[in-house]
Amino acid sequence: MPILTTLIFLPLLGAIGLLCLPDSARPVFRWVTLVLCALHLALSSWLWLSFDKQLIGYQFTETFDWITLTLGQFGVISIDYALGVDGLSLPMVWLTSLVMLVGAVSSFEIKTKEKAYFSLYLLLTGTVVGCFVALDLFLFFLFFEFMLLPMYFLVGLWGGPRREYASLKFFLYTLAGSVFILLVMIALYLSAVDPAETALSVGLVKDRAMITDQVLDQVHLAISQLQVDPAQLVHTFDLRYLSDPANYVPESLLSTMAGHEIFGMSARLLAFALLFIGFAVKLPMVPLHTWLPDAHVEAPTPISVVLAGILLKIGGYGFFRIAYELFPDGAVYFAAWIAGLGVLSIVYGAFNALSQNDLKRMIAYSSVSHMGFVLLGLAALTPEGANAAIYQLFSHGILSPMLFLVAGVIYERTHDRSIDGYRGLATPMPSYAAWTAVAFFASLGLPGFSGFIGEFFSLMGAFNSTYVPVWMVVAGGFGLVLGAGYFLWTFQRVFLGKTWTMHDTSVLTDLTFREKAMLVPLGLLSLAFGILPGTLFSITEGYVMEFLKKF
Amino acid sequence: MLSIISLSIFGIVNLFLGFLKSRRILLPATLLFLIVALILNSMDWNQQALYFGDMLRVNNVFVNFAGIVLITALLIVGISRHFGNDEEHTHPAEYYAILLFSVTGALMMIGFENLIMLFVGVEVLSVAMYVLTGTDKRNIRSNEAALKYFLMGSFATGLLLFGVAMVYGATGSFKLGGIASYVQMASMYGAVSPLLYVGLLFLFIGMLFKVSAAPFHFWTPDVYEGAPTIFTAFMSTVVKTAGFAAFYKIASTAFAGVYGFWAQSLAVMAVLTLLIGNITAAYQGSFKRMMAYSSISHAGYLLLAVVAKVPSSQSAILFYSLSYSLATVAAFGVLMAVSESRQFEGRGDDRYEAFNGLAKTNPLLAFVLTVSMLSLAGIPLTAGFWGKFFIFSAAVQANLTSLLVIAVLMSCVGIYYYFRVIIAMYLKPAEGEGISVSAGFTLTLVLTTVLTLLLGVFPDVVKNIF
Amino acid sequence: MQNQILYVWYLLTAVTILAALLVVLAKNPIHSVLSLVVTFFCLSAHYVLLNAQFLAVVNIIVYAGAIMVLFLFVIMFLNLREYTEETKSNFAKLGAAVVGGVTLVAIIAALKKVQYPMPMRYDVRTGFVETLGEVLFRDYLLPFELVTVLFFVAMVGAVMLGKREKGERHF
Repeated sequence: MPILTTLIFLPLLGAIGLLCLPDSARPVFRWVTLVLCALHLALSSWLWLSFDKQLIGYQFTETFDWITLTLGQFGVISIDYALGVDGLSLPMVWLTSLVMLVGAVSSFEIKTKEKAYFSLYLLLTGTVVGCFVALDLFLFFLFFEFMLLPMYFLVGLWGGPRREYASLKFFLYTLAGSVFILLVMIALYLSAVDPAETALSVGLVKDRAMITDQVLDQVHLAISQLQVDPAQLVHTFDLRYLSDPANYVPESLLSTMAGHEIFGMSARLLAFALLFIGFAVKLPMVPLHTWLPDAHVEAPTPISVVLAGILLKIGGYGFFRIAYELFPDGAVYFAAWIAGLGVLSIVYGAFNALSQNDLKRMIAYSSVSHMGFVLLGLAALTPEGANAAIYQLFSHGILSPMLFLVAGVIYERTHDRSIDGYRGLATPMPSYAAWTAVAFFASLGLPGFSGFIGEFFSLMGAFNSTYVPVWMVVAGGFGLVLGAGYFLWTFQRVFLGKTWTMHDTSVLTDLTFREKAMLVPLGLLSLAFGILPGTLFSITEGYVMEFLKKF
Repeated sequence: MLSIISLSIFGIVNLFLGFLKSRRILLPATLLFLIVALILNSMDWNQQALYFGDMLRVNNVFVNFAGIVLITALLIVGISRHFGNDEEHTHPAEYYAILLFSVTGALMMIGFENLIMLFVGVEVLSVAMYVLTGTDKRNIRSNEAALKYFLMGSFATGLLLFGVAMVYGATGSFKLGGIASYVQMASMYGAVSPLLYVGLLFLFIGMLFKVSAAPFHFWTPDVYEGAPTIFTAFMSTVVKTAGFAAFYKIASTAFAGVYGFWAQSLAVMAVLTLLIGNITAAYQGSFKRMMAYSSISHAGYLLLAVVAKVPSSQSAILFYSLSYSLATVAAFGVLMAVSESRQFEGRGDDRYEAFNGLAKTNPLLAFVLTVSMLSLAGIPLTAGFWGKFFIFSAAVQANLTSLLVIAVLMSCVGIYYYFRVIIAMYLKPAEGEGISVSAGFTLTLVLTTVLTLLLGVFPDVVKNIF
Repeated sequence: MQNQILYVWYLLTAVTILAALLVVLAKNPIHSVLSLVVTFFCLSAHYVLLNAQFLAVVNIIVYAGAIMVLFLFVIMFLNLREYTEETKSNFAKLGAAVVGGVTLVAIIAALKKVQYPMPMRYDVRTGFVETLGEVLFRDYLLPFELVTVLFFVAMVGAVMLGKREKGERHF
């Protein structure tokens, strides 16, 4: 069974199926979604278990020809439907399934236009998974842009009072980022070729099965000596080929050899910078982060969960998979800048979080701060740093849904998220206070929880790095302290002391079974990954080793 | 060639059909005529030919462009439901005949090999458009638009003719080949006559006016707004496609030798067009006016491909024209349905507010318009995305980096105003009751949507024949 | 002989330009039309100088004769005697002046540099009807035929737009 295709199309088919159900089946929609998401999680858990940690490179690959465009004298573009997972994408796929399942449970609170909501929700699930498993840059871009549409409507239709503004802002920011990616993509396909297909088109071999490494070397040699007629070149978007400098046509725009310059800047460095900006919007990185607090505040709880839990991860994933793998030279050149921006995100996000009165806004800024660690770890280009960056992505993917669920719990009861609206909630809602404490402490980086591993190792990686100045690491460490500050201060203000609220205290009931069912597993997972970080490191290690060979 | 002849005859036949008592036959007859022309046109595939002493060149490019024009015209005729069945003072036979004649003009512009043919084609198309703009005789805006279009258009045609005369003065030839060989020789020896430069500029200005590129776009918003919507749809698709076909042909063949001269000024105009079109569109309160500015901005993207002038420019223009035409026809179709049933200040409501809550009252129309807007905005899995993709590819190949950056930023601005109508349809509460539309109308709109999505998922089906 | 023709040409050109300016500047529309007639006559004289006798005659008959008389009739019928001041902002006027001036300078600068080739041979038959007919029906047959489409569109359009309808606005 093509497992990755199933992971993408199971939710998509589910979405279409929901649309076909009659309106009278209203109560069933949420259960269908829940079952599909549970099935999705089961499938991706199976994927995790049968993943071979020893192998280097992509596993479970599926490749089909999709679009073949002839460009006359300029050869052919071949766009493939290519899927696969490796040590980087596997945790992300599993995380997606998990967060989507949690989001599906949380979506039970949606009471209007259920059919549209759950269809869009499943559509979102499919496109996000597609983003993580796509091996063709074009396919990635397609999912990357297409996921904006369900997200746009999910925020815009079921959001808070300023939902139109927030959803359009979210859309415009991400789209502006993605057009930069599109530009680089065009330059990339014009520069790179698929050696296997080219071997076929020049008649070096008759059959795809006869392609060996020798044949590929022959093709590389012929391309590098400009012996291949341009009309016979097969241009490609396949990330596996794009990451190999030997596949770039000499004298092409992005060839490592040619050294083309645009506006007095090396074309490759410029391309890296554009990709970086494109993904930095998604991550989000200060100063491109302003859409995030608005989107979070207006989005309904399950959508906040999904947004923080997975969509931000695509930015980080894009750094690894596309910006860094294709342009290692740019990554090295800009390393100090990236680390600086990472530290800026950490500190600026933390200071902003400190000053917020809206619980969701506070959490949104804490996300910005936590994503700064990903940048810092990535910029270090050390094994610890890169592993920690992936780890931080994963850990934040577990913890931020928890944080937003916590905010959602109180919002659902009183429709008020202001921090100064409550005091001493621990007395009427003890288990809520307990699980909030777990979420907060895990997020601020208490040892034993997953947050600690990601933050600690990314600081350590940056410290060991030759690219990152020490003062930046120190400033990043200061961000950790600030993080402790805003979480503890918030916890103290909301939960401790004498009970007081401006709302009717009778609505302040403790966690329901459904809420516990979401919070408890997430908390336990965070604890599990904090105590046994090896479960994740053993998967990412192999990938990181290969990844760092490029630098 | 047969398609041009048959269309001119069909136009006359259509006028005679107007004598019949029943007006019902006109719409199917016109559709039939266009389909016959389309078939005749496709019979010219792979038949390279020059007709009547190098007046008209028929090749695959001609067949492709003519195919786009004919298909667009078919779709527009498909949504022209109100001709003649409700109001006694309309003249459906004349409308359809003029439409057919104008398509003849468009085909002449696409296939011309001699500047005289270009001029005649431009005139046929323009005069037909002047007339059609003013057909809503009781509407003072339509009258104003027709007069404005006529005055400005004649001025532009005058410039075009002046340019042709000067180019003839410099090169001694009306033929594209003759001009090209003069330009080639003269630029090799560095002895290009200044007359050619002035003539070329005038010729280009005349053409840029017809495709409504800045700074010759001032007529566009008023004319598009004043003209009956169905003819606005025709103007912004067929005229633009034919205009760019002619423009690219003349720029890339006759004046290829002085590329350095015109590329610079055209690049400036492309930037201006993109900026003015997109930024002004964002400020419009009326959907129809927004579409007018959006058509200006799309002229900017197409100009980008002309400025690039790489071999792939032509197929990029072809694909872009097709995707743009499909989306625009759908958008104007929905606008027609909406503005006819919702009144504002005594006439059809073409503001964004008219679309409020359309998703609830007419989900199908809302979906059609959404796909069309997404395609115009260039979101993946729609034809518009590939159009932009190919245009940008051509620009990257020609190293037009700064132009490209502006185009990319402007396409983000585009998202903003295209999404305003999506917001209105899906996020605003519904006003008024559902709109009833006829089956043929719905079928045509659904067809455009299906084609847009199909081209978005499998662009190679069409791209490989361009 | 050469010089005399040159003098005639200069005179004609001056009159043409003056008359053309009058068309635009005259306050009374009837004066405008009359100066237009003068302009057409001068243009016809230019045709004669260019050895295009037939075109000269046609120009006088069709334009100066028929069309201008029609114009005069229309203007007299509409009684457009009083001149209404067109309100245009100074900015627009300035813009128009700048654009027009720049274009004029550019054209003059370009035309001054042009070296006109001397005509190879002089053939008195060039402007005759037979020659014109041959060119029209041999080389330019297709555009000649297709121009009919143009006229047809113009005719149908004019009739359609000119027809008075029920419920139409009157000005």
